[in-house]
Amino acid sequence: MPKISVDKLEPGMKLAKPVLAKSGMIMLGEGTELSAAWIERIQDMEITSVFIEGPTIQAVPKEEALAALQERFAKVEDKPYMNLIKKVVEKHIEGLYE
Amino acid sequence: MSKIDPKILRHKVENINTLPTVPGTLKRLTTIIEKPRITLVEISSFISNDPALTTKVLKMVNSAIYGFPGRIASVSHATMLLGLNVIKGLLLGVSVFDLMQKTMNGLYEHSLACAIASRVIAQKKGLKEPEEVSVAGLLHDIGKVILTLEFQAEYETAMSEAKNKGISIYDAEKEIFNATHANVGGWLAEKWRFPRNLVEVIEYHHRPALSKNASLETAIVHMSDLLVRARGFGFAGENLVPEVNPATFELLALTEADIRDVLNEMESSMEAVGDT
Ligand SMILES: [Fe+2]
Ligand SMILES: [Fe+2]
Repeated sequence: MPKISVDKLEPGMKLAKPVLAKSGMIMLGEGTELSAAWIERIQDMEITSVFIEGPTIQAVPKEEALAALQERFAKVEDKPYMNLIKKVVEKHIEGLYE
Repeated sequence: MSKIDPKILRHKVENINTLPTVPGTLKRLTTIIEKPRITLVEISSFISNDPALTTKVLKMVNSAIYGFPGRIASVSHATMLLGLNVIKGLLLGVSVFDLMQKTMNGLYEHSLACAIASRVIAQKKGLKEPEEVSVAGLLHDIGKVILTLEFQAEYETAMSEAKNKGISIYDAEKEIFNATHANVGGWLAEKWRFPRNLVEVIEYHHRPALSKNASLETAIVHMSDLLVRARGFGFAGENLVPEVNPATFELLALTEADIRDVLNEMESSMEAVGDT
């Protein structure tokens, strides 16, 4: 779910997260398909970006993220339950890139 | 490097309101929450009189961290729904936000992710007050804020010791302070009149077996802290995953699917709060 700057919005994009007013109240719900009119309204609000449906672009390349994971676990891998936890987290991180 | 006398440390922590490094906004807030018989109405009007604080609190309660995204319109609604202890904890959480970013970049992200994971696990385990566990997750490392604020040079030494020796920041703190952020957090939570179970979660989140009155809540935050570090959100002093307390892991009895759910919720909620 990528975050898109409000001036890059295009009609047809779908909100992956609700658009909230300053008070935190929902202005537009999750899943709303944006029309040109909605986009204009959003641009008039005091927000800079919104979440759009679709895969998120991860900040770090996959290999780097997995290498960092190995390092974080290096000292505890053979401790009880730690290998189980590591496997689940590893799968989770791999899933972020699919 | 000379060690710090833990008695002096404790004295400083307990007189936090006289420390010049502590900003005025936090002093005013802690003066309010320390009152022995503070009521929800008093706390509610304290928040409402401060527009910036009101915005921060509403943003926080409406975020994915608490289970009510986008549904709470007013401070009085929030206080009624969440209760005194959660509101007190939340107020502290939003007030130390800037301090956390300043003294240890990434600690706020670590704490937020831990709050989210704590709520999800608490809900899975059927706890009656998942928001209270979530606030405990938000504040679990609050001792680090005071240590980095008041003993900046010493804490930097602790961090480089941790890095060079490959030990946890918790163990490095022990070497330099003869005490840890968990002790400091526990003293603070007591001073701020948080309930016993919240004090225990903060004090024992690295040694969950010691908690007598809140073993399940402490287990949840212990596990959440570990999962946040495993996933690599934020920074809490060094980049190591601590080993899980085996008895705690067995007490929680999370399945692989449960852990996957926690990670997924953490992922999407952290993305959503990323722009604040
Ligand atoms: Fe900690
Ligand atoms: Fe932590």
